[in-house]
Amino acid sequence: MTCREFVETAESLTPLQLRTMQTGDEAMSVHVRECAGCGRWLESQRLLGGALQVLRTHTEREAGPHVEQAVLRAFRAQGFEPLASAEPDRAAPAAWRLSRFFEFGAYAAVAAALIVGVFLGARMWRDSHSSSSHMQAQVTGIPLQADPHASNPGHANEGSGIASPDSARKSANPEMAKVAPVGFRRSQSAIRQVRPANIDRQGFVALMFCDPLMCSGDEQVIRMELPGSASSSAEGGSSQPVIADVVVGEDGMVRAMRIVN
Amino acid sequence: MLNEQTDEQLLALALDGNEEAFTALYRRRQGPVYRFALRMSGSPQVAEEVTQDVFVFLLQRGRGFDPERGAVGAYLFGVARNYVRRAMEKSHSEAAMTSPAENEEEFLVTDSDPVEGIARSQTSKAVWKAVLSLPEHYREAVVLCDLQELSYADAAAALGCAIGTIRSRLHRAHEMLVRKLQNSAPSLAGFSGDAARCLS
Repeated sequence: MTCREFVETAESLTPLQLRTMQTGDEAMSVHVRECAGCGRWLESQRLLGGALQVLRTHTEREAGPHVEQAVLRAFRAQGFEPLASAEPDRAAPAAWRLSRFFEFGAYAAVAAALIVGVFLGARMWRDSHSSSSHMQAQVTGIPLQADPHASNPGHANEGSGIASPDSARKSANPEMAKVAPVGFRRSQSAIRQVRPANIDRQGFVALMFCDPLMCSGDEQVIRMELPGSASSSAEGGSSQPVIADVVVGEDGMVRAMRIVN
Repeated sequence: MLNEQTDEQLLALALDGNEEAFTALYRRRQGPVYRFALRMSGSPQVAEEVTQDVFVFLLQRGRGFDPERGAVGAYLFGVARNYVRRAMEKSHSEAAMTSPAENEEEFLVTDSDPVEGIARSQTSKAVWKAVLSLPEHYREAVVLCDLQELSYADAAAALGCAIGTIRSRLHRAHEMLVRKLQNSAPSLAGFSGDAARCLS
């Protein structure tokens, strides 16, 4: 055993353990006999262990009974009502105080997330509420946002930038679209309800998938009269015209349609 | 029945208003807390004040205790450590820290052999002086590990530091204690020689 090995072994033991150690480790005993320096060090540590043992014995005391009485009085006076706050006291160990700090930080983050969630939820509810009232109005046939320029397609093109029935006719089959005119706008949220399920509650069928960015903006619902040969029902030989509502985007592309008659 | 409960269970019962549980917890833990404060401060008065403050703190703030962060015993040592420090700051009792227990006699365990008793008393006094003169961090390590016989892990939890830190502080404290005893009490057998280690 080298001196370093001896020191590493001995330092893993406290002075009290070194003192009570009965040289059980033969290699350590041999080294101590051979190396005077390590022998002196071991002896000093053993003496220190002995001295600490004496001090430990002499201070082996307990608090007096009056301390217990005082503490019990404090217990009875406590009443165990809900404590005022969970604020860490100065006397709490540092590790506890630090982790309490992070704990409060986590609570604050959760509270902030809840507030943001409630705010967004309220906003979404408001949007969906307004869109449902749009839908209701549409079902009852009352256009909420009747386009004042709908009867004047050319004006609509110039002023609001909204697709005119003419442009809708271009993108749909120009032969089929004969009539237009019930123009009222659907809000973007109402259109959004058409897209995901392909068919919405009002019976609109999405005709194409489009990039949400491209589909942004207002759309216009145009009532059209289509020739009977264009509809599937016309395959049976019916030649009656079909009335359909067509949703036309700002770019003039048809987004969705529904058969009214 | 209550004696079989763990500290954590007793604390939970006590904080629900169970006086017997609180008394059991106090009787189980007051001794180590008192001795820690006594060995850190050198003053029985300070030790009693600290013991009382620690358990009143436990009553008032015990709900902040989290068993995942350590045992109740380590938590109490941590609280006691802060109260000892505060008491020392308040009373400026540096004198108390360097001259332990004026009424030394009351700390002596009665020995059957009076001569041996005096020798023990002298040894104890010299060592205690040396311990009290250590810097606070080293003193805490010696008191908790050597005198209170806490494991390194429990001492680390009480002091809020790593186990390696405890080891190094303890090692350094032992070297300082040996040097102090060589200087202050060379009459104590064995401490008069050169205890420098051989590192060849």
